[in-house]
Amino acid sequence: MSHDLSSRQSLPLGTIRTEQVWKRFKADQQRMLLRDKVEQLTRRLRGGRGEDWRWALRDINLHIEPGDSVGLIGSNGSGKSTLLKMLTRVMYPYGGVIDVRGRIGALIEIRAGIHPDLTGRENIYLFGALLGLKRREVASRFDDIVEFARLGGAIDRQVKYYSSGMQMRLGFAVAAYLEPHVLLVDEVLAVGDAVFQQRCLDRMREVAEQGTTIVFVSHDLPAVESICRRGVWLEQGSIRVDAGIKEAMSGYRDSIEAQSEAGGRVGEPLQLLKHEIVGEGRENLTTDEPMTVELTLGGDYRGDATLHLGVSEGTSSPIFQISHEIRLTGEDHQVACMIPNLPLPRGRYTLWAGVYSIGRTDGGTLMSWHSVGQFDVFGPMLDTPPRAVVLAAPVFVPHRWEE
Amino acid sequence: MGGQRAQVLDQRENQTEARRAAADGPPAELIFKRRLRPAQVARELLGARELVRALAERDLRARYKQAVLGFAWAVLTPLALCSIFTLVFQRAVKIDTSGVAYPLFAYVGLIVWQFFSNTMNQGALSLANNLSLLNKVYCPREVFPLATMLVASVDMLIGIGVLGLLFLVFWTAPAVTFFWVFPLLLIQIAFTYGVALVLSVAVVYLRDVRHLLPIITQMGVFATPVAYPLSQIPQGLQEIYVGFNPLGAVIEGYRRALLYGQAPDLTLTGIAAASSVVFLVGGYLVFKKLETGIADVA
Repeated sequence: MSHDLSSRQSLPLGTIRTEQVWKRFKADQQRMLLRDKVEQLTRRLRGGRGEDWRWALRDINLHIEPGDSVGLIGSNGSGKSTLLKMLTRVMYPYGGVIDVRGRIGALIEIRAGIHPDLTGRENIYLFGALLGLKRREVASRFDDIVEFARLGGAIDRQVKYYSSGMQMRLGFAVAAYLEPHVLLVDEVLAVGDAVFQQRCLDRMREVAEQGTTIVFVSHDLPAVESICRRGVWLEQGSIRVDAGIKEAMSGYRDSIEAQSEAGGRVGEPLQLLKHEIVGEGRENLTTDEPMTVELTLGGDYRGDATLHLGVSEGTSSPIFQISHEIRLTGEDHQVACMIPNLPLPRGRYTLWAGVYSIGRTDGGTLMSWHSVGQFDVFGPMLDTPPRAVVLAAPVFVPHRWEE
Repeated sequence: MGGQRAQVLDQRENQTEARRAAADGPPAELIFKRRLRPAQVARELLGARELVRALAERDLRARYKQAVLGFAWAVLTPLALCSIFTLVFQRAVKIDTSGVAYPLFAYVGLIVWQFFSNTMNQGALSLANNLSLLNKVYCPREVFPLATMLVASVDMLIGIGVLGLLFLVFWTAPAVTFFWVFPLLLIQIAFTYGVALVLSVAVVYLRDVRHLLPIITQMGVFATPVAYPLSQIPQGLQEIYVGFNPLGAVIEGYRRALLYGQAPDLTLTGIAAASSVVFLVGGYLVFKKLETGIADVA
């Protein structure tokens, strides 16, 4: 163990090592009240069991070299954020060794931590100090920070008069200019408008090029894919795949699909037994290229019905819907829909489906409108995702330029 | 009935699952233990001095940004208490101050008490109020109570200025033995910080502690010889009393050094010093031990 430690001394800045890291949380919901503690204590004194624990992370071994960019992916509750928190040293492991070399920067939203009564300028210095910067260091980056946050003249106004977007950008901007050896990023893209998200991604790419180690947690898979070279897929607290980003990503995508297929609806006359969303030659989906949706419906309903298909961005903003009349015979019914030029830009979408009977006035729901699954569309410019532009206009229009 | 039975089964299943989960885990020698290396702790704290200053500055600025009277509040609060004490204790209870003007006598005690109660009240909430920050950014957590103590120190400096004015008003000078103030100040700081450390981390784990604060504040001001001399406490009990409340010896020492021209009682001061070191070191260890779980419970 001791020679192990001494060899660790020589690791270069920007290295991350986790060895056999375990983390557990209390399984029963905990309230921070004396009453509950007393209850717990009496229960334990009576010889009952203490607390239930649940493993959040099991045996995590990660070796990240300086300059690596690693995407942590996985479904909610898989332990991504917990792992990231332990790398930031905010949280401590239950067992194992964590070693992060060099200055750690975290690109985080800090809105609540910023003091509302202070001006933007005062907050920048305060936040800088919190992240370990000297006053002088903040001062030398001050203009960059204000520029990044697009605060302009508002910098000397009290933060409580800022819009929520401005507050958020302020926190991000300070963190983005830390120049750390290791940059940890947790879901930056979940907040802020499209333009700001784009700027954050650009900044991350810039930092990565300077040789900073990056660990990026996000559900925005295309964004992760555009920044990271390596992917670590966590599932229920364990590392499922640790490989190149493409490999990790495709494994994760497949598992999402498998899960959403499993969740069929019960108790309705018709069921969606199987669905597949594929591009040309069964490859990935690409903007302006063909897309085929294949559905298999099962159920003993006989008669005419209308099948509706829809696509939404994320899970909420609808983009288009199409429908088709089908005749059901009581046996499994296969239907395929081909869209020759997919009008969707790069991003993640949700497919919806529903079947309603024809000729009935009560609507006759055979299979209610529900989300079938998600799919990713790869745009032509994968390496420099024009996210800001993309999110502003969700539909791709075929076009030709002339000069 | 059926539902209940299902619930019981469910619970049993949960239990076995929990046991299974507890069965596997990291090898025992790898279980994380908090190790405190004094050198490392000191280095980290030294590295965070900028942060302490920034946090204190934040609190000071924020506190007075919206208050019309600004820093005058730091003067008005102890002065108001001082006049009430003068009314009640000098006129009604007739405390014997051995020839020293009562307002001076009481104000010396109030400065110490204000420093303690400000640090305690603000310091106890310093972690709880910054939880959103603590969950995202790493820094040595003891800086938060430390910063509140720094803010209280600024108030104390203002209070000392007012004390100077009171000396002028009553036309006396501080006694030449005033240098005793400095060792006593160390005792005062060590004890106060120790208490603030324990309370700050206790509030995170047990929200109830918050409700204790006003009680401690209100009882403490009377349980501590602020309005009356330490001699009011029976002779044989003074050592024990000072062991639990070093502030008693500190205030008494200040009064002797500044007002009576005497050296502090060395036995009592020694006990107070030892006790305050226990409070500080014990508080720090408790703090550091519980600190590791803050992100888990918050």
